[in-house]
Amino acid sequence: MDPQQPEPVSYLCGDCGAENTLKPGDVIQCRECGYRILYKKRTRRIVQYEAR
Amino acid sequence: MPKKGTKKGKSADDEPKEQNKLPEHLEVQRTRVVCKADAPTEGFQYAGAFAAMGIDNSVSVDKFCKNFKVMVNRLTEDDMEFDMIGIDASIANAFRRILIAEVPTMAIEKVLMVDNTSVIADEVLSHRLGLIPLDADPRLFEYISENDVPNERNTIVYKLHVSCKRGSPRLTVKSGDLEWLPEGSQLPLASPAQSGDKQKTYTSFGQSQKDIFEKPLGVKFKDITIARLGPGQAIELEVHAVKGVGKVHAKWSPVATAWYRMLPEVVFREEIRDDAAEKLVKKCPVNVFDIEDLGNGEKRAVVARPRACTLCRECVMGPTGEQVELRRVRDHFIFTIESTGALPPEVLFTEAVRNLEEKCERVISELS
Amino acid sequence: MEHGSLEDSSASTFSIAEEDHTLANSVRFVLNQDPRVAFCGYSIPHPADNKVNIRVQTTGDPAKDVFKDALQDLIVMCQHVRGTFDNAVVDHRSNISAQQMDIDSNSQGCGTISKRLYQMLTSAPHSIDKTN
Repeated sequence: MDPQQPEPVSYLCGDCGAENTLKPGDVIQCRECGYRILYKKRTRRIVQYEAR
Repeated sequence: MPKKGTKKGKSADDEPKEQNKLPEHLEVQRTRVVCKADAPTEGFQYAGAFAAMGIDNSVSVDKFCKNFKVMVNRLTEDDMEFDMIGIDASIANAFRRILIAEVPTMAIEKVLMVDNTSVIADEVLSHRLGLIPLDADPRLFEYISENDVPNERNTIVYKLHVSCKRGSPRLTVKSGDLEWLPEGSQLPLASPAQSGDKQKTYTSFGQSQKDIFEKPLGVKFKDITIARLGPGQAIELEVHAVKGVGKVHAKWSPVATAWYRMLPEVVFREEIRDDAAEKLVKKCPVNVFDIEDLGNGEKRAVVARPRACTLCRECVMGPTGEQVELRRVRDHFIFTIESTGALPPEVLFTEAVRNLEEKCERVISELS
Repeated sequence: MEHGSLEDSSASTFSIAEEDHTLANSVRFVLNQDPRVAFCGYSIPHPADNKVNIRVQTTGDPAKDVFKDALQDLIVMCQHVRGTFDNAVVDHRSNISAQQMDIDSNSQGCGTISKRLYQMLTSAPHSIDKTN
């Protein structure tokens, strides 16, 4: 575990849907189409629901 | 329940000579519910009702056992219609209530969502999964409570893992895509700190359910749409199904619905002839009436199918309304049970009756 | 739970937890048919609480015994219902299979069941038909 710089997180481009891995301090821009709105991916944790 | 006092009949002789005969109108009041144009009028039913006339109105257990009849009209795998004659409304209603709310079934309760990138929200998807009918006999399972560990006796585990590839057309996820996991949960519990084979999952199955149950525990209907996936979307989840009753949540109700109606009786107060008869036959939306030819060009209306009557009261409304009387036989119930598939309808009814017996026994043991 | 007076055991109220109209109305009906009962009724004090009060007043016998007898009678009635129902289902199934064997010789297969039902109903002792 890296206390100073967390591991690189991948984000999804809002336009083309391509995955972009960004490190803290990177420019926020899709690498393929230049769109500047990136979405975070859904968590990998298991969420429990009641089927009610 | 209106408890009117005992009424002496209009007949001059009211000695209890003929023990079994009440005057006509009182007999109607005792055994029928009359459905007038505005509202039904009931008689009364308690043991001492016609005591002054020497009629025994009680329904003791022996009389009940002698007079009770059941006739099955239609019986298929999913639904049945049968007649119960000689039983009271309170007990018939008790059976109906138990069928809907207190006969247990298996239904999905816990949804462990690993991945859901579809347009259907997590909780909406979970709600839909809960309503899927499962083909599992609930009598072979035990209830699970808060602190119990999910094991092969009280939980059924299914997995759903579908994804729509990029470039493919939209994919419909159906209930048939749920895979049964007879060995138990495959998802590891939070801390994978322990190494080796001993990885704890969400359930602890001692043995495979394939060895315990003869037929595979799948879903009853494989074509129920759960969700639709666009290209690049995926759903991965695991569900646990447990035993429960409809009282807690409607997903555990074993019947699509169960209902009863009393046998309708249509009686002519006066004979209806010719044109009036034709009009009457046309009025009825379910063709209860028919025309009978009397010769000489005269026609008369007769009651052909009283059982089909839906009591819409079309025939008792209007100027000719007084000629027809609509009644219902108070102790004849036409029961219909539509099962969702876990148990066949005749088994459901037997379970409901047994449930009422257990309730009585529980109260008796509490009293002693 | 029985609420009654210590001297007079012929009248008491039974408060049953975890029950509702399903059991209470059925027991009330069976109690009404007992000649020892002077008064019986049930009420649900509040719909949010799962409790029902059954009041029994008898002509002398202890209310608890009369109540227990009524519950016992209800159990017997249920067992009889179950037995009659099972027999009816078996009858129906054997009729259906017998009919399917007759279908080659008799083309009127399906009409027989409802005709049988009609015959049973019109021959029942308590039916009043004034269609004439």
